[in-house]
Amino acid sequence: MATLQVTDLHVSVADEEAKTTKEILKGVNLTMNTGETHAIMGPNGTGKSTLSETIMGNPKYLVTQGDVTLDGVSLLGKTVDERARAGLFLAMQYPAEIKGITNSEFMRAAVNATRPEDDPISVRAFLKELDKNLSILNMSDDMAERYLNEGFSGGEKKRNEILQLMTIKPKFAILDEIDSGLDIDALQVVSKGVDEMKSPDFGVLMITHYQRLLNYIHPDQVHVMMGGRIVKTGDDSLAQELEKTGYAGLRDEFGLDVDLVDEDVPAGNGGR
Amino acid sequence: MLKSAVLDMNPALLKSSTFANEPKWLTDIRRRAWEKIESLEMPVFAKINYHSWPLLKLAADPSINVSVPKEVTEEAKNYHLATIGQIVAKLDLSDKLKKKGVILCDMQTAIQEHPDLVKQYLFTKSIHFDENRLVAVDAALINGGAFLYVPHDVEISDPINLLQFQDSRQATNFINHTVIVAGENSRFKVLQRSATVGEVANPAHIMVEIIAENGSYVKFSALDSLATQTHAYINRRGYLEKDARIDWTIGLFNDGNTIADFDSDLVGIGSHTEMQTVAISTDRQTQGIDTQVTNYAAHSEGNILQRGILLGASSLVFNGIGKIIKGAHGSKAQQENRVLMLSPKARGDANPILLIDENDVIAGHAASVGRINQDQLYYLMSRGLTKEVAQRLVARGFLGVVLSDIPMVEVRDQMVAMIERKLVNGQGTE
Repeated sequence: MATLQVTDLHVSVADEEAKTTKEILKGVNLTMNTGETHAIMGPNGTGKSTLSETIMGNPKYLVTQGDVTLDGVSLLGKTVDERARAGLFLAMQYPAEIKGITNSEFMRAAVNATRPEDDPISVRAFLKELDKNLSILNMSDDMAERYLNEGFSGGEKKRNEILQLMTIKPKFAILDEIDSGLDIDALQVVSKGVDEMKSPDFGVLMITHYQRLLNYIHPDQVHVMMGGRIVKTGDDSLAQELEKTGYAGLRDEFGLDVDLVDEDVPAGNGGR
Repeated sequence: MLKSAVLDMNPALLKSSTFANEPKWLTDIRRRAWEKIESLEMPVFAKINYHSWPLLKLAADPSINVSVPKEVTEEAKNYHLATIGQIVAKLDLSDKLKKKGVILCDMQTAIQEHPDLVKQYLFTKSIHFDENRLVAVDAALINGGAFLYVPHDVEISDPINLLQFQDSRQATNFINHTVIVAGENSRFKVLQRSATVGEVANPAHIMVEIIAENGSYVKFSALDSLATQTHAYINRRGYLEKDARIDWTIGLFNDGNTIADFDSDLVGIGSHTEMQTVAISTDRQTQGIDTQVTNYAAHSEGNILQRGILLGASSLVFNGIGKIIKGAHGSKAQQENRVLMLSPKARGDANPILLIDENDVIAGHAASVGRINQDQLYYLMSRGLTKEVAQRLVARGFLGVVLSDIPMVEVRDQMVAMIERKLVNGQGTE
C-alpha cells in the first residue's frame, strides 16, 4: 500500500502583470491510500485545480508552507517528471496539443520512462496493451496514430487522458474535471476505464463540480473544498447532500467568509 | 575579395575534371564557364557571410580511390544507383523500367551513352552556367553526378533511389551534378541521399536540375548528411512546364557549414510546387538556406515550408523568397518559415521576402523564431519523460511534420535517427 499525504499546504500563484502573488491554498490536509477512491468537490475558483497541479509539480505554483509526501518522502523538491516516475498521474483539464508526435510513440516513451534503459517494453507487448485499452474506451485504432491531442475534440482529449492513465498505470491518479464537457455516454466510457484500473495498488482522486460523476465512480471519501481549504469530509452521501443544498448552504452552515463565484448576486456586486 | 572566395585558376583543375571521351559541346560549356568565373559575383545569401569558407579550395591534383568501402556497399542495398565520388558502386534498374525507356546512370556514363539527351537538358533550362561564380565553377568542373530520364507517359510507383557519397578518404573534388528529366505526363518519385566517407576536408558542391515537362509529376526527396569538415554548396532547381508539379521534401542534416539554394521556376501555366525543407544546426555550425519560388506563368502555385532547429552556438537562416513576375495572373505564392531555438547561444532567423509584380495574385507569409513551448514540455514531463527526452520529442515533432513525405521507410528511419543523434549531442554541449 502506498500513501499520498498533503499536510497544511499553502500555495500561491504569481500574477505576472500585477507583480504580486496571491494565496490560493490556505492549509489543505488530505490523506489517501492506494485502493481508495476520493472525490474533491467545491465551487469554482476555490483551488481544486491548484491542489492537483501542485501535487503534480507544476512550476507555476509556489508552495509557501506545508508538505506533500508519497510514502513519507516529500515530493516538493522533485520535478514533475520525477513525481510522475514515482507514481503520480494527473489527467489534465486542458491537455497540450503536440503536432508531429503520435499518441502511441508518446505513450511508449512514457511507459519506458519508468523502466530500466536497457529493458524497454517490447513493441508487441505495448501494442497488445494499447489495443485492449482502446477497445475498453471505445476509441478507434487510428487514435493511437494521430498526433498527440492535435485536433482532438474535448471528449476525445478526456478519453485520451484515461487511455494514458491505463497504459502508464500509476499508483495515484488525479482526475481534474474529467467529466467536464462529456456527454452521458462518454462519461460512462471514461468511468469504465477508471473502474478497470481499480486495484489495491491504485488510488484515485477525482476533482469535480458535479455529483453526476460520482454516480459512475463511487468514492470512499468526499471532500468539500472552499476558500482554499477542505472544509468537510464525508462519504458518498455528502455529495448528494451538496447537490440539494449547494455550496452556499455549506458555507453558511460553517459561517465561512468565502465568495462564491457563481453565487446569485446582483450584477456588479452592487448589493454589498 | 577574400582569398577563399577566389578560385585558383589553375588549368589543371579543368583538366582533372574532364570526363573520358568528352563530347565537344561539354568541353565548350566548361571553357565558357571557366572564362566567366572571375567576372561573376558569389551568390548572395541574405544575413549569411560565408565568404571565408573554403568552398573554392579545390584540389588541382585530385586523386581517385577506386576501392569501395564496406559501409558504402552496405548502405547501397536499398538504392538503384550508388556512387562514391566518381566511382559507381552499384547500378540496378529493372528490365521493366529499361524497356519503358527509363534511363538511370552516373553522369559520366550518361555523357558517353546518351550525349544528345544530356546536351538537351544540362545547363539549358533550369540552371544556367553563368548565374553566379559558384555555378560557373561547378559548370566548368563538373566531375560526377547522376542522370535520370523518365520518358513521356511513364509512371513509376516505387521511388528511384540515388545514393551519392562524397569521397573524403583523400583530397579530391566533389562537383556532383544530377539531372532529372520528367517527360510529358510522367509520374515518379526520386530520393537523393548524400553523405561523406573519410576524414579529409574537401568542399562539396551538389547541384540538381529537375526538368518537369508538361503535365508531369515528380516527388523529390533528399536527405543530406555531409561531414563536419565538409563545407557545402547545394543548389537544387526545378523547371516546371505547363501543368507540371514537383513536390520537394529536403532534410538538411549536414554536420558542416552549408549554403543551400532550393528554387522552383514555375514557367508553365498551371504549374505547381510544394517545397518543404527541414534543417538542424548544431555546435558552431552555420547554415544559410534560400528557398525560392518564381511564378513566371499564369495560374501557377508555389508554397514554401521551412522548419529548423538550433542547438549549441550555431546559426541557421531561412530566407523564403516568393517572386511573382508580371503576367503571372491568378498565381499563388505562400510561405511559412519557422525556427525553434533550443539554446540561448544560437542565432536563428526566418526571413520571408515577397517580390510581387502582378495584381491579381494571392501571396502571403508566416515566420517565427521561438523557443520550446513550456506547456507542451510540462505535459510530456507529467507523464514521466525527462526534460531532455521531452524536449527531443517536441523538437522531433516540430520537424516530423515533413517526415511522412519521405518515400522510403529506411531513409525515414535514418532521418529520425539523425534528428535524435543531433539533438542528443546538442543537448550535451549546453
